[in-house]
Amino acid sequence: MNRRFLINSISVFTSVVITLLITIILLIFIGKNPLEVLALMIGDTLFSGYGFGQMLFKATSLMIVATGLAICFQAAIFNIGAEGNLYFGTFISNVIAVSFRNLSPLILIPYSIIAGMVASMLVALIPPFIKVKKGVSEVITTIMLNFVLIYIVNYFVLNFFAVKATVRMEKVDDSLMFMKLFNLWDFLKGSSVNILFFLGIFIALLAYFFLFKTKLGYEIRAVGLNETASKYMGINVNLIIYLVFLISGALSSIAGLNFVMGYKGYFEIGFSSNIGFTAIAVSLLAKNNPLGIIFSSLLFGFLDYGGLAINSLVPKEVMFVVQGIVILSIIAVDKIVNRIFVT
Amino acid sequence: MNILESIISLAFLSQVIRLYTPYYLGASASNFTERSGVINIAIEGFMTFSAFSYVLFSIKSGSPVIGVFVTILLSLFLALLYALFTVALKVNHIVTGIGFNLFIAGLTKFFLVYFFQSSSNSPQAPSIPSISFLKFVPIIGPLISDPVILFSFILLPLSQFILYKTRFGLRLRTAGENPEAGDSLGIKIRAYKLYGVLISGVLSSLAGMWLASSQNSFSDGMVAGRGFIAIAAMIIGRWKPLNIFYACLMFATLESLEITLQIAGSGIPSQLVQILPYFITILVLLGFVGKTKPPAADGVPY
Amino acid sequence: MSTVIECQNIVKRFGNLIANDNISLKVNNNTVHCILGENGAGKTTLMKIFFGILQPDSGEIFIKNKKVRFRSARDAIDLGIGMLFQHFQLIDNFTVIENVILGREITKGIVIDIEKTRKLLKFYIDKYNLGLELDKVINELSIAEQQKVEILKLLYRDSEIMIFDEPTAVLSPYEVSHFFEVINSLKSAGKTIILITHKLSDVERVADYVTVLRRGKKVYETDRDKLNIDEVAKQIVGNIAINQTEQIERLNYNEGEIAIEINKLTLVDKGIKFLSNLDLKLYFGEIYGICGVEGNGQKEFVDIIMGLRKPTSGTINIKADGISLVPDDRLKKGMIKEFSIGENVLLRMKSGVLLTRTKSQRVADKIVIDYDIKVGGSDVAMASLSGGNQQKVIVAREIFIDNKILIFHHPTRGVDIIATEYIHSKIIEQKKLGKAIILISSELEELLKLSDRLGVIYKGSIIKEFEEKTIKTKNNFLIEKIGKLMIGIDE
Repeated sequence: MNRRFLINSISVFTSVVITLLITIILLIFIGKNPLEVLALMIGDTLFSGYGFGQMLFKATSLMIVATGLAICFQAAIFNIGAEGNLYFGTFISNVIAVSFRNLSPLILIPYSIIAGMVASMLVALIPPFIKVKKGVSEVITTIMLNFVLIYIVNYFVLNFFAVKATVRMEKVDDSLMFMKLFNLWDFLKGSSVNILFFLGIFIALLAYFFLFKTKLGYEIRAVGLNETASKYMGINVNLIIYLVFLISGALSSIAGLNFVMGYKGYFEIGFSSNIGFTAIAVSLLAKNNPLGIIFSSLLFGFLDYGGLAINSLVPKEVMFVVQGIVILSIIAVDKIVNRIFVT
Repeated sequence: MNILESIISLAFLSQVIRLYTPYYLGASASNFTERSGVINIAIEGFMTFSAFSYVLFSIKSGSPVIGVFVTILLSLFLALLYALFTVALKVNHIVTGIGFNLFIAGLTKFFLVYFFQSSSNSPQAPSIPSISFLKFVPIIGPLISDPVILFSFILLPLSQFILYKTRFGLRLRTAGENPEAGDSLGIKIRAYKLYGVLISGVLSSLAGMWLASSQNSFSDGMVAGRGFIAIAAMIIGRWKPLNIFYACLMFATLESLEITLQIAGSGIPSQLVQILPYFITILVLLGFVGKTKPPAADGVPY
Repeated sequence: MSTVIECQNIVKRFGNLIANDNISLKVNNNTVHCILGENGAGKTTLMKIFFGILQPDSGEIFIKNKKVRFRSARDAIDLGIGMLFQHFQLIDNFTVIENVILGREITKGIVIDIEKTRKLLKFYIDKYNLGLELDKVINELSIAEQQKVEILKLLYRDSEIMIFDEPTAVLSPYEVSHFFEVINSLKSAGKTIILITHKLSDVERVADYVTVLRRGKKVYETDRDKLNIDEVAKQIVGNIAINQTEQIERLNYNEGEIAIEINKLTLVDKGIKFLSNLDLKLYFGEIYGICGVEGNGQKEFVDIIMGLRKPTSGTINIKADGISLVPDDRLKKGMIKEFSIGENVLLRMKSGVLLTRTKSQRVADKIVIDYDIKVGGSDVAMASLSGGNQQKVIVAREIFIDNKILIFHHPTRGVDIIATEYIHSKIIEQKKLGKAIILISSELEELLKLSDRLGVIYKGSIIKEFEEKTIKTKNNFLIEKIGKLMIGIDE
């Protein structure tokens, strides 16, 4: 175990360093002072209460989605459909929340959250069904489903639920909103980070325990490592396939609440801004280990907000490039490191 | 014009062909790599990359021809990088494809802002020049004078020829069917995987370039999942050029119907109609008779 | 008589195993030379050295009296040597033509010269009466036809010295006849044929010369004129030494309860009949050995019993909750090599929600001691164990979960002698505890040692069963009879 941890650490460290180097080169190429950019980024994010809070806020959704994806990836299931699940589940949650305003928050909060999860889990059954019955890879089906779900939700929002002249739904009652953390810690004043952040950490820890300390978790990982042997050893592989999709569907739906009940209070078209795809990178960077995801999601949250912080110097889109480089470098470095150390 | 008249018209056919072109180029791109045993789900990313590159270089240089050449060159380089990951390093193909898609998405978003100061659209770009003398061919003149459209039709017999009649094609297919056997017969398997990836780079770059050229600009998200529909067309076409051709025509026809119905004001909401290609793909994959059968060693790092 | 290929003092080791122990032999031009021996005698290793795939640790090879050194198969092929392996190197989805010409295509520019190719291949097919259709796809062909494609590959590459590794192992009696006709026509055309086999019947049909290998050494040589089949048989087998330190008490299983009852089990898939009306009754307290050449339905049989595959027809009645299986391919089917010993065991068990390091360690400790597995630090990853130890862990695991029925599929394949002994003793121990055991193997010695009853499987059904009394005799006559049954000869 220790050896594995060491090798993984070397991989992550090396790829972060490589990313840093390439980023610096890129900054110089576009005529900016890398030190100045870095200083502003770190200063505004890590040393500013508001920035730090925003970093945590952005990390929250990533953490939760990535945890669900990690469980899929551990079973060698390439679920690209988190974005669609997230969008659909959050939409349903919001619909319930604004349709039953007369219910007490004690009932409405769990009701809307669970409704969203159930909706998301139901559509999440489609790709595994096609995989098990028809042998079609989940990569294509989940990508297609993303488009379908997003367009369907957009249709319903625009035509039935939207507030006039906007692309958003009604706001939920204030009683449903998650408490923002600056109420506990003043220095986070103004930031949107809320209690869902702690739930995210809890989910990651729970997922770690699930994957590495329970028999079912071992079965999931066994299927990912050697599906044939898993079959012969009595593991119900088809069940595992369905299960990991259900789990990631449920978690993706919760992640979206960070925006609705944690921030703006309403569902807005396009709110998710590709978290479902960024989360893939977050999980891969953490070698699909939920404990590592806590850190990699913080890193990506840092990059996300950091991009906004340096927008005066460099277009914020540079952070998307950095994120892309991170993922490419981790998968390459990981292979090379493994080849050197595991002969 | 009523709806029926709209459909049985030259304009409709022309629309179908224009929709078909990027699909077939993308699907063929995907087919060539998968036949050599490498899965490439970054076709979407490659298209986006080449669309942007064409717009950038044709605007900056003032010449669309330069835009085309530079783009093809850059796309080859990108494909080489992809081969480095999948063939040389033997990283999992799907993970690599995801990584490339994310990376290219970020790259194009950034350079769009950097070069054109907009996060959504580029300014006007010139079109790829047409082959003037072909314009005078009756009926189909306007279509086949577009070199990319013309090529996308030539591509069908060309693909069949290369894959099934040449030594290159035989060895390429070996890499995707049984690399061990090929190796034992002295065939350089990894070289052929590289060739497959490079071909896919060129073909998908043509698709992306053409998209940008026909819209005369680059906009964020313009490829809109066509790269993935192309892959679906390849699966539905069971990795055979002719069947892939039919699948792409089918998708193009359905999409053209959608647009025509929308314009004709049929009252069907645009979103529900927009999901048609993706929805059809899922239905077809769901209702697929028998299991799909890719090249035997597809996706196996070798 | 000129010597076309000769080896002197060839030695080849694999770790502790001496596969070829100082072997010298001569093969004469334009003859059929049979190399005989049991599994593991060293025949294939020696031929792989002749073909350049393996390099000897010491010793020399001469082609037409000139010393040669092969760096790879390419060198051997260039000198006109071709080898046809037991496991064909064919591409299932390609046609006959495509498979034959791959790597050596006749081209006109970049295009394959189909005309010329067809003409050439048709010439060979007619000359040697191969009966192949060039445009058929490989997975439409029978095994015998696929073999002919491999032969065509050798002809296309101008092989003069052709080495065949166990060619008749997978053929029916009728196909075997036809195969030998081809051999004869190849010989008439001037080729030299080396035939690796473990079957006396092959020798009788075609051998000009015979060399017998046993446990890595050359023990006997003779030619057609002086051929004495009984002597050859004796030399192959040597003395079967069965060390039985105790009398194995055989339960009177006719009164034992029935554990599995199989009736007319049939499996047909894509036109191939894997299982054909297989009948079998297994009782508690016995070891039922299934003897057969690989590829006669054993894999499919196991998959169906374990519930991993559905039969086309037939019934299976299983009177137990679960079945333990030690599969034939430990790497692919037997274990998760990245996981540890304890984790592999606990993963297999039905009970338990948690799987912690402590639990895993405890289980691993027990097994390591019980099964005498030498490891550094006990709960290590399976990947770090030797093949023998891995197999012991898998056996331990399947026994640990305490199912009433156990299946052992090639349990000692690729396992050293000491570990083999251990596994055998465990199998016997389980039998004494009243478990129902199926032992599938192609090692006759192992089967005779452990089985209470023995069934010979051929082309998907049990063609003959042997009772306890007969097995106890363990004489050479029985061995030969079983050997013939394994290839379908029922006298």
